[in-house]
Amino acid sequence: MSDPVLIRLAVNGDTHTAAVPARKLLSDVLREDLGLTGTHVGCEHGVCGACTILLDGRPARSCLMFAVQAEGHQITTIESVAVNGSLSPLQQALHEQHGLQCGFCTPGIVMTFEAYLRENGSPTEAEVRDVLSGNLCRCTGYQNIVAAILSAAEAMRGDEP
Amino acid sequence: MKPAAFEYHRPESVDQVVALLAQFDGEAQIIAGGQSLTPMLSFRMSRPAHLIDVNALTSLDCIRVIDGVLEIGALTRHHRIATDPLVHAHCPLLAEAAGTIGHYAIRQRGTIGGSLAHADPSAQLPLITTLLNAEIVLAGRNGQRAVPARGFFLGSLDTAIEPGEIIVCVRIRIPAVDAGWSFELFSQRRGDFAIVAVAVLLLLGETGKVERLSIAIAGIGPTPLSMDNVSQASLGRMPDAAWQSELVTTLGDSLEPDDNPKFPALYRKDLARNLLTRALASALSRAERSRA
Amino acid sequence: MNAPHGDYVQVGKPLPRREDRRLLTGSARFLDDIAVPGALHAAFLRSPHAHARILSIDVASAAAMPGVVAVVTGRDLAKLTTPLVMAPPIENLVPTEMTTLPIDKVRFQGDLVACIVAKDRYLVEDALEAIEVDYEVLRPVTNFAEATAPNAPLVDDTLQSNLLAHQTFQQGDPAARKRGAHAVVEARFSQHRMTHVPIETRGCAAVWDEGREHLTFHIGNQVPHPLRTNLARRMGLAESQITVICPDVGGGFGQKIALYREELTVAALARQLKRPVRWREDRMENLQAASHAREADCVTRASVDNEGRILGLELEITEDFGAYCFYPGNYIARVIALILSGPYRISDYAYDLKVALSNKCGVGPMRAPMAMTSWVMDGTIDAIARQLGLDPVAVRRINMLKPDEFPYTMPTGEVLEDITPAPVFEAVIDAIGYDDFRRRQAEARAHGRYLGLGLCSVVESTTYGSRFYKFAGIAGSGHEAAWVRIEPSGAINASVGLMGTGQGYETPLAQAVAEGLGVDASRVRILLGNTDVAPYGMGSRGARGATAGGGALFLCGRKAQAHVLRIAAHILNLNSAEELRLRDGSVERCLDGEWTAAGLGIEDVARLAYLDPMALPSGMDPGLDFSLTYDPPPMTYSNSAHACEIEFDPGSGAVTITRYVVAEDCGTALNPMIVHGQQQGAIAMGLSGALLEQVFYDANGQNLSSTLADYTVATACEIPNLEIISMNTPNKRTPVGQKGMAEGGVMGAIGAIANAVNDALTPFGVVADRQPLTAPYLHGLVNGRR
Repeated sequence: MSDPVLIRLAVNGDTHTAAVPARKLLSDVLREDLGLTGTHVGCEHGVCGACTILLDGRPARSCLMFAVQAEGHQITTIESVAVNGSLSPLQQALHEQHGLQCGFCTPGIVMTFEAYLRENGSPTEAEVRDVLSGNLCRCTGYQNIVAAILSAAEAMRGDEP
Repeated sequence: MKPAAFEYHRPESVDQVVALLAQFDGEAQIIAGGQSLTPMLSFRMSRPAHLIDVNALTSLDCIRVIDGVLEIGALTRHHRIATDPLVHAHCPLLAEAAGTIGHYAIRQRGTIGGSLAHADPSAQLPLITTLLNAEIVLAGRNGQRAVPARGFFLGSLDTAIEPGEIIVCVRIRIPAVDAGWSFELFSQRRGDFAIVAVAVLLLLGETGKVERLSIAIAGIGPTPLSMDNVSQASLGRMPDAAWQSELVTTLGDSLEPDDNPKFPALYRKDLARNLLTRALASALSRAERSRA
Repeated sequence: MNAPHGDYVQVGKPLPRREDRRLLTGSARFLDDIAVPGALHAAFLRSPHAHARILSIDVASAAAMPGVVAVVTGRDLAKLTTPLVMAPPIENLVPTEMTTLPIDKVRFQGDLVACIVAKDRYLVEDALEAIEVDYEVLRPVTNFAEATAPNAPLVDDTLQSNLLAHQTFQQGDPAARKRGAHAVVEARFSQHRMTHVPIETRGCAAVWDEGREHLTFHIGNQVPHPLRTNLARRMGLAESQITVICPDVGGGFGQKIALYREELTVAALARQLKRPVRWREDRMENLQAASHAREADCVTRASVDNEGRILGLELEITEDFGAYCFYPGNYIARVIALILSGPYRISDYAYDLKVALSNKCGVGPMRAPMAMTSWVMDGTIDAIARQLGLDPVAVRRINMLKPDEFPYTMPTGEVLEDITPAPVFEAVIDAIGYDDFRRRQAEARAHGRYLGLGLCSVVESTTYGSRFYKFAGIAGSGHEAAWVRIEPSGAINASVGLMGTGQGYETPLAQAVAEGLGVDASRVRILLGNTDVAPYGMGSRGARGATAGGGALFLCGRKAQAHVLRIAAHILNLNSAEELRLRDGSVERCLDGEWTAAGLGIEDVARLAYLDPMALPSGMDPGLDFSLTYDPPPMTYSNSAHACEIEFDPGSGAVTITRYVVAEDCGTALNPMIVHGQQQGAIAMGLSGALLEQVFYDANGQNLSSTLADYTVATACEIPNLEIISMNTPNKRTPVGQKGMAEGGVMGAIGAIANAVNDALTPFGVVADRQPLTAPYLHGLVNGRR
């Protein structure tokens, strides 16, 4: 019943195969079998948001999925966000505005907003806070994260200052 | 916090799901969005021998309008319901409520069928379907049957789904376009399950009197409560301040919340009165605006 | 030894953080990201009962489960490890002892029963279900009152009672002040139990090298060297047989200081099995059984004159310490009692503190262990204002220490200096627009809306020097150690005994070295957390990082600079280095009052020191390797004033924070951006705790808050933006005038929010005297229910 099944996962544009038990969580397979440890596990019950990845471009808690369920879908993780070593506007803004401290929750926040800012390029502060409420941060008090997201949105829109 | 072992199945049609359910008779559990089920599996509060993943049934991810009925496939995600133009046009109340479920990432995965089948007593979609007495369509070995929402929720995490059945869609009779509506939710934090939530649908007649009034409330008992038995007395009344306060008093008095250590019964009863007051005012103002 | 305060080149810049890049791109290495080939996974069976005797444990079926390598109980561990003895030389503190795993009895729900090691975490959890334990359930004590009632069941069977500590103190004659007072104002404060919730839970990985008889212990911990000392002692190893390595750490907040029983078990099993073993605590374990904090009740009695002037003050404090002592049981309550008077002029003072064991998770320090101090003190001031019908601002002003009263000796003997309570308070009153608020508040009330403004002044004890430890009778030291190494190329490595858990040490500590040495901060790399690399230091706790750690590094940098300049003087054929300095890595010479480049860089000196030592001044050793230890003043203090504006909704009981202003004077900021981040984080933690969080035990001692859906940490929607006023009065006794900070925000937030709520509740004639200030609690209060 816990025999491994062979699965094929499309992650960050690469195809990986892994033999894992059906019950193995996507978060665990990404981290342990694929070595993509940037996706963090903070609660394993879907509350903290640290393990958020993109599934077909949409944010999803990787602790609330089994890896076998992700077959046939495109998975995107934090490791793919910076391209050729250059930070995305969101990552850059988080760095400049001190939007992270211990950084454990950060990958989940980055993934959530890489997706959200594509859906809503001009969010209000209230909208940003509403979406951010799905990611717990124990260090920052959120203020600098919110400011960074708003300025990243601005940078991505290419607004005149 | 790792799930117990199970065998995984990924059927591609409702018939296949039904066949698998029959084959594993009581030993199988359906997983859709998994936003409530997966934690229960990880806590080992649920430990099915077989997990039937219905995410490949993409035809159940659909929203359409047929003959005055808004039909939403069971696999439709909350985020889609919250942002879909058809839902906004025909049942904005549902869109608004769906947009408050959990958090952004949760809403990308969670499905309407999953939420109804899970039947958390304070969840949004059981409340709204109860208010609108939506039809929940189930498929099983003997074909399909439709269960009205008000007979669907039997208790906390308990529904009229029989072993061997799966929810395929939800049918909502589209409310009158000029009906006022409101959804009020109070939770400790953003995204938490409601302590109490209230939904109202109010239609005013040509003379401005109450023509239809539906009220439902969640967080009081083991299932969402339809308060239509109380609200029917309002039909034909002018929706003035006296009506509102009488109605809130009557509704409030009829509530008998169960007690729990964090949110005592007396608190939830008062909170319900407070939310009912706000919800009636808000539904009335929408109804009046659409008449104007 | 102190540098002149002021003109710093590297210190004081808001440099963005070094750590960010790896954290933002997913390439950081937290504990679970470290690959340990062949590692087995440990997991623990935990007690379902709050209090029970273990009659028998049958591990046979579990041992036969797939993938299982070992199943061990308390009896097995007792052969591999020694117990933790907590018996510091403190008067009226009962010594305690605990085995590595319980043997006969479990003392709280979530207490440890057995450990299984298996091939992976899934299999190990399967096997846990197969252990059969026969318990005899005992009656639990679940709060201080139950624990100290006559004939209460004993939490620790080896003790006479559950009372762990009872200490009293008196200065002056508070009883006499009561007799002569215009009024005696009594106020109560009940602080609920909380827990730290680092987003990364605890965990460790132990690798035993049998050939070398050496343990490498990977763990996210705030105090690597003291941890190593404890680990060595309890495993019967020499400290040279253990290397503790702390990777990136996902938050600590005080939870990652002690050597916990799970960690010791994992280390002992790795040695026993001669195979690497790792453990990752799951969230439920973290919430139930890692460490809790804060559960204490205070009663104050203030004797006052008719203007609200405090003539005498009495404090009674009782604390529920939980089931086990990982720290001396009196220490947290003691600090609250020691610094209670804070920024106020109080000469006659007495306290009575009692700490008891209970059948709940053990308590430890959490960001501002003394968090409730400022709430109790400023809440007492508000109680005085309420009872006497005075303006709370006026009562604060009349009692607050004025600038010319420093240095001021508190009634407990603690000396306050270089702090600025009055200017900071006035800055906040001014910024919040106090008079205008009172007008808006009256207007709102007329429309059935309830606004409240809460004030809270904080004096935060930040850095504890070794003289404080001696004075307070606590074993330990407050010094810190550092080394700075200029490599042959002129690159700079430096290390200190601190360990960061998210503060961003790598940048401000580089600035401290750079300032002392005279180079750009970008040239300095800070190495932390490896006990083979870092010097033995006391680690990160309290708010000692900037003063103890930054101070040691700055001074070590200065020592290095002096040496570099001696060599430079020799190269330049000067008699002394007096007219030389190092700036941005270049040697500069003062000629006619002007600093000009001497045409020599740190690289040149380094090359000489390493590769041409014969060219060094005679008698000078080759190399550029410096180290020192630094013992800070007995205690340093930061101070702040908080103002919080809220709206209270009587219909739901909800509190909405509408504005928050804080003015803080934490001395010289090594990096003001980091300081701001710490202020925001501390205040958020305070507000979250005061409004939302609660470790919730039922009468049977069952923990009802063991998921993050039940232990509710604030989201981005509950925490407001903060307005921060920065003040930087240097501490004259520390190397660059730094004071330390990062806990005061919690203290001020807890007090300011409570005082704001009570201000809003004034029309209802009720006072909220316990936290959390949840909607149901406040709603009950205004509706006549407790």
